[in-house]
Amino acid sequence: MANHSQFGFQDASSPIMEELMQFHDHALMVALAICSLVLYLLALMLTEKLSSSTVDAQEIELVWTILPAAVLIMLALPSLRILYMMDEVNEPDLTLKAIGHQWYWSYEYTDFKDLTFDSYMIPTSDLPLGHFRLLEVDHRVIVPTESKVRVIVTADDVLHSWAVPSLGVKTDAIPGRLNQTSFLASRPGVYYGQCSEICGANHSFMPIVVESTPLANFENWSSLLPS
Amino acid sequence: MAGEGDSEPGKSFKLLGFLDVKNVPCARESVLYGSLGSLVMGLGHFLATSRVRRSYDVAVGGFICTMLGYWFYCRFNLAQQRIRQRMLQEGMKNRILYEGSYLDPEKEQIGSERSDS
Repeated sequence: MANHSQFGFQDASSPIMEELMQFHDHALMVALAICSLVLYLLALMLTEKLSSSTVDAQEIELVWTILPAAVLIMLALPSLRILYMMDEVNEPDLTLKAIGHQWYWSYEYTDFKDLTFDSYMIPTSDLPLGHFRLLEVDHRVIVPTESKVRVIVTADDVLHSWAVPSLGVKTDAIPGRLNQTSFLASRPGVYYGQCSEICGANHSFMPIVVESTPLANFENWSSLLPS
Repeated sequence: MAGEGDSEPGKSFKLLGFLDVKNVPCARESVLYGSLGSLVMGLGHFLATSRVRRSYDVAVGGFICTMLGYWFYCRFNLAQQRIRQRMLQEGMKNRILYEGSYLDPEKEQIGSERSDS
């Protein structure tokens, strides 16, 4: 989860999120280069005498055509690479349905057994000591570690959005539509997210908690859960 | 001793308020090499031509080109290193998993060496 006053990304827990963080660093470096140039040009304009003696602007025209093209190429190529990586079609090990309601999430594991449960936020008054306020839920989403998980997201009433920042996942939940996303949790852990589309009074109080656990523990959990 | 000579974890130094040069890999070196390149190229141009304004332009251009050039080089090497780390991790995991079993490649190798001798 994010610490208080955290401004940057949370630690990546999936390969896609690692790639996204690297691309973000690259984009910021390009932004630094552009800002340096702009600051220099600004300083130049402020110190230069105003004159209208320019008759031929071939060189500057060439520069301000080629430079933006180069910047776009530097940003577009890695961006498209990650975009296509995110859309790769692969055989998921597990399919999970996430359905948004006002104001809770319900999950369905229907691959091998009809497992369905609702996931409500634990109110602050009932929160055990040391747990995270407005982030904990009564039933977490359990997924096996290092397994490709496909999540099909939809909603029952209004727009919601299923988001887990450390896994690099955010997918809109739209009534009447099935949106698909996938992730791979690289390591065991508990990953928190919150509804990311305004959906009414308790929009801020329907969190998502994904718990990644080794496969043996996942099988144990799924066998214990009543269908 | 832990912490000697190391900066505190989580502290950041953001250039122009957004680029964290302490925590982003390759960022610090890129900016430093860029600054060095800028100094060398700007000063060199001035010494060669004695044109102040153009030397400033060359210095800024040198900063941007050197910084981005080293950035691409460093990030490429970092990506290669990450791939090697992943392969190593996978290899170590597989070695532990398959050691002694019929899938152990070392067992096959020893077997073929014995049959050769």
